[in-house]
Amino acid sequence: MFLEHLQLQQFRNYQAQGIYFQAPKTILLGDNAQGKTNLLEAVELLATLKSHRASRDRDLVQDGQTVGQIQAVVQRQLGAAQLTLRLQKSGRRTAIINGETLRRQQDFLGTLNAVQFSSLDLDLVRGGPGERRTWVDTLLTQLEPVYAYILQQYNQALRQRNALIRQQTADLDESPPQPDITQLALWDAQLAALGTRVIRRRGRVIERLVPIAQAWHREISGHTEQLDICYQPNVAVEQDEPTVIQQHFLEKIQKRAIAEYYQRTTLVGPHRDDIAFSINQTPARQYGSQGQQRTLVLALKLAELKLIEEVVSEPPLLLLDDVLAELDLKRQNQLLDAIQDRFQTLITTTHLGSFDAKWLASSQILTVQSGKISANDRNQADILKHSG
Amino acid sequence: MAQALTDAKQQVGLCSVCFHLSADPVCDICRDNRRDNRTLCVVSDSRDVIAIEKTREFKGKYHVLGGLISPMDGIGPEQLTIGQLVHRVNKESIDEVILAISPSIEGDTTTLYIGQLVKPFTRVTRIAFGLPMGGDLEYADEVTLARALEGRRELE
Ligand SMILES: Nc1ncnc2c1ncn2[C@@H]1O[C@H](COP(=O)(O)OP(=O)(O)OP(=O)(O)O)[C@@H](O)[C@H]1O
Ligand SMILES: [Mg+2]
Ligand SMILES: [Zn+2]
Repeated sequence: MFLEHLQLQQFRNYQAQGIYFQAPKTILLGDNAQGKTNLLEAVELLATLKSHRASRDRDLVQDGQTVGQIQAVVQRQLGAAQLTLRLQKSGRRTAIINGETLRRQQDFLGTLNAVQFSSLDLDLVRGGPGERRTWVDTLLTQLEPVYAYILQQYNQALRQRNALIRQQTADLDESPPQPDITQLALWDAQLAALGTRVIRRRGRVIERLVPIAQAWHREISGHTEQLDICYQPNVAVEQDEPTVIQQHFLEKIQKRAIAEYYQRTTLVGPHRDDIAFSINQTPARQYGSQGQQRTLVLALKLAELKLIEEVVSEPPLLLLDDVLAELDLKRQNQLLDAIQDRFQTLITTTHLGSFDAKWLASSQILTVQSGKISANDRNQADILKHSG
Repeated sequence: MAQALTDAKQQVGLCSVCFHLSADPVCDICRDNRRDNRTLCVVSDSRDVIAIEKTREFKGKYHVLGGLISPMDGIGPEQLTIGQLVHRVNKESIDEVILAISPSIEGDTTTLYIGQLVKPFTRVTRIAFGLPMGGDLEYADEVTLARALEGRRELE
């Protein structure tokens, strides 16, 4: 797939900016706080309906405005698609594909696929389980768009169940509470049914990702290191059978009932899953060096690219936010070899100095300055179109 | 005095039998004796009654819950007309209770909750879900809604 045109309107620090992408790689060059990450964020939103740094749309809409818009033309094997995402300072988003407003926003997913790689991704190794869950969920959302719906339903059931537990334990020290057993049991059943779907899908995607990531990791580490990735679901999966997992889920809820009663929150379910990374049998989190952790994350990102390509039968976009310059020349070259010209890549950087010449050769270079984009080279002036 | 007024207003707005919007103490549908007294269609909201009436496919009576179970919003079974429903099913002779509640997390929980309470007394069915997930009954077109009613299934 190829992102041909992007149009930002009152989005972050962009007032009105159109960009035509004309090379397999685009380098977005600019000083700090000029809008480079904002541009990648717009693409990320089109691919996942989420931004890894804003949870509220009001942060995305340009200050002083009430609405913002991201529009794109994506070339796919089956033809071009026009995507429009309208954001409001307060109120619901509108998702439009080829002029048709979607009733369910999830239907927006799957038209544009992208893998995001930023320096924050080191938190995948160093950070808490939440970062790793978000990572696998974002990947799943792109591979199986219905997963976005399942996860949202699970989270809703979880919020409802937590609210009920809090109510039922509200007067903990006063009169003995009289929990509504019937209602709690129904929420348990919902949580277990939806949670099981989340667990099985996470398990499946990690299983598919592991061999690809391992192969990349061997290659990048020069065949000296063995990567292992292990899904650690909170509710253990002894047998990949929905009814068995659900049963197990409910039993664990029973077992943890007293702890739950005192902690006043749901302690069992995939919202407590984790994924363990280890290098040569040692946990990467505690023992991995900076370089090892970088290699690991690079291997994961390359595996994501390949897996999405395999599943959707088209190469996704790669969004590299500030990371390329952080990689040494050897790893830069490995990355370049891996993506070649197949994966359209958008790269942000503050300076071109540390780029390998091969990267520069196949790239279109754009300058980003205070929410305005201009061609870095006069010959490239034609690739820009300003509109208002 | 102010409290008495708001109480009176709430009473005036709703049918005392089925809790559908009504200017009179008992609504037109409940009073219509050509309608089948033995089939009860349970919906969350008066808007759903209006949507189903538009299909002209349902000849029984209704029971409006006044919402769905949602602990997050402080709505438990006590805040809805579930007690009154159980009472009706108990007192009147009802052959079938049709649960016509949109599929959602809260809708499913409410459906199952009511199912457990009224199943000992009567046959309980739920409408078929050709309806879009998360879609509201009131937005479903009449043909879809009529089909959903037609294809209702025994609640497990
Ligand atoms: N809603 C908004 N309205 C207007 N401006 C915004 C909005 N949100 C962010 N900005 C501005 O966008 C700029 C940050 O842009 P961005 O994060 O893309 O920087 P960057 O070019 O990636 O910089 P760096 O090299 O430091 O990563 C800041 O100046 C910020 O004030
Ligand atoms: Mg940035
Ligand atoms: Zn009535």
